[in-house]
Amino acid sequence: MIAINHLRFHYPKDKMVLNNISLELESGNIYGLFGKNGEGKSTLIKIMAGLLYPKTGSCLVMGERSERRTVKGLQEIFIVPEEFELPGIRIASYARINAPFYPNFSKDRFNALLEEFKLGPHERIGRLSFGQKKKVLIAFGIAANTKVLLMDEPTNGLDIPSKSQFRKIMASAVDQGKCIVISTHQVRDLHSLINHVVILDNAGLVFDRSLYEVSEGLWFGKAQADDTEHLIFSEASFGGKSVLPRAHRDETEVDLELLFNAVLTTPEQINQALNIATHGTTV
Amino acid sequence: MAPQFNPKRIGHFIYRDLVLLKGTLITSLSVAGGALFLFSLFAMIRDKNLTDGEFTGIFGLFYILTGLVFTFAIFREAQHKKMDHLYFALPVSPLERLIGAWFATTVLYTLLFSIVAPLIGQFAILVGSVVFGANFHLLSLFQEAYWQVVKVYFFIHPVFLLGAIAFGKNRVGKTLLFLVLLVLGVLFYNMLLYGILNHGHGVFDDDALASYAFDSAKSDFVGAGIVLFAGILGPVLLLTAYVKMVEKEV
Repeated sequence: MIAINHLRFHYPKDKMVLNNISLELESGNIYGLFGKNGEGKSTLIKIMAGLLYPKTGSCLVMGERSERRTVKGLQEIFIVPEEFELPGIRIASYARINAPFYPNFSKDRFNALLEEFKLGPHERIGRLSFGQKKKVLIAFGIAANTKVLLMDEPTNGLDIPSKSQFRKIMASAVDQGKCIVISTHQVRDLHSLINHVVILDNAGLVFDRSLYEVSEGLWFGKAQADDTEHLIFSEASFGGKSVLPRAHRDETEVDLELLFNAVLTTPEQINQALNIATHGTTV
Repeated sequence: MAPQFNPKRIGHFIYRDLVLLKGTLITSLSVAGGALFLFSLFAMIRDKNLTDGEFTGIFGLFYILTGLVFTFAIFREAQHKKMDHLYFALPVSPLERLIGAWFATTVLYTLLFSIVAPLIGQFAILVGSVVFGANFHLLSLFQEAYWQVVKVYFFIHPVFLLGAIAFGKNRVGKTLLFLVLLVLGVLFYNMLLYGILNHGHGVFDDDALASYAFDSAKSDFVGAGIVLFAGILGPVLLLTAYVKMVEKEV
């Protein structure tokens, strides 16, 4: 659905933000796009949405170059930016003036999502908090029924109950025809939501694996004394958790935060362990 | 398959702009209307009369100024750091955006202003006749001078449009500066052309003749200037505005 090939990008008179990124994103998945601050997550999301243009390489969304911003392409992409401002009109008016541009927009779905977020269609957007505005935009994005839904730090500004509400709504939003990409540096917020992890570091792509692969190949937990020689990564704090090759061990729940830290510290070892688990060799 | 040009989508886009700019439009029309009313009253004080010509002059001033404000307001979303993402991600092609903005800020705006302004002028005449006994008569706006003003607005509007899209900061100031330089450039070109063609007659040696030269240059070359602006410069500016919109990254 989204094919990125040898993509390079830098802002004018600035260092390379994305260097030779190649990535394939398929429908039916929720991708978690992780990275430290300033590693190019937002930039990559903007390139996918056609808001920034690659310096070299390409980004194809459903076969079309994203920077062409064709009507056909944009009708199938919705972006929830990290920082945005909505007009101070009523929520229902906002939907009325923007919905005609999205052929698959569902008003019923939008109203149902608003209700779930405890918002009324007649409330004025100008009087809402930033978190509530974000809920309006998320509800609109899901109701727009686009094939690609891009979200940049969607949980920023949401309180704790709203974050779990967000996870619940997003889980119900995905279907086989959709590709959802959520970028965040708050890895925990996407717990039990995503099924694929993409990690950017030092302007490059250092990790691109499905959670199935991760849970098949890695083990997360407190290591025993005789595990020391197999350790791939261990938290520095006393009694901290570790990452080990799963091998014969029981399956554990993927600890996204631990995985993220492990990938940033020892990307080669993590990828090697997963290659052995997947292919049985050090590919 | 969604085509890149769809008149119905342009209609939706114009409606969207008008809903979003309802407040701005009402405020700027109110300010322009208030000023139009006061200027009309002041024009009546001396001779107790507001002629159609005087009113058209006042109308022209506020019509063009409010048009400038409206044109810049219509691209506010495109220039706003926190609104530009959603504006450019909206499934509307650059050509549709440009046509929508042009139609709203020229045709629709002119219709609206041409309905509101005479009503205000008429009200000013009524107030003038009651307060200081000015001559009461019905205003007739739609005469040759009115069409001249509308023509001027449509001629210079591509400059406003380009300025509203191309300039990020101090947009109004930069656009007006660009407009002034453009007018000076056209004037200089006309003068130069006249000077070259009539050099042998010593046109710039004598004050009277110089004055005649300017008048003559104006009448001789104003037609060429119009053709140059409407036929070449206007479309080139609109094309540049389109390219700027296509190239815009946010």
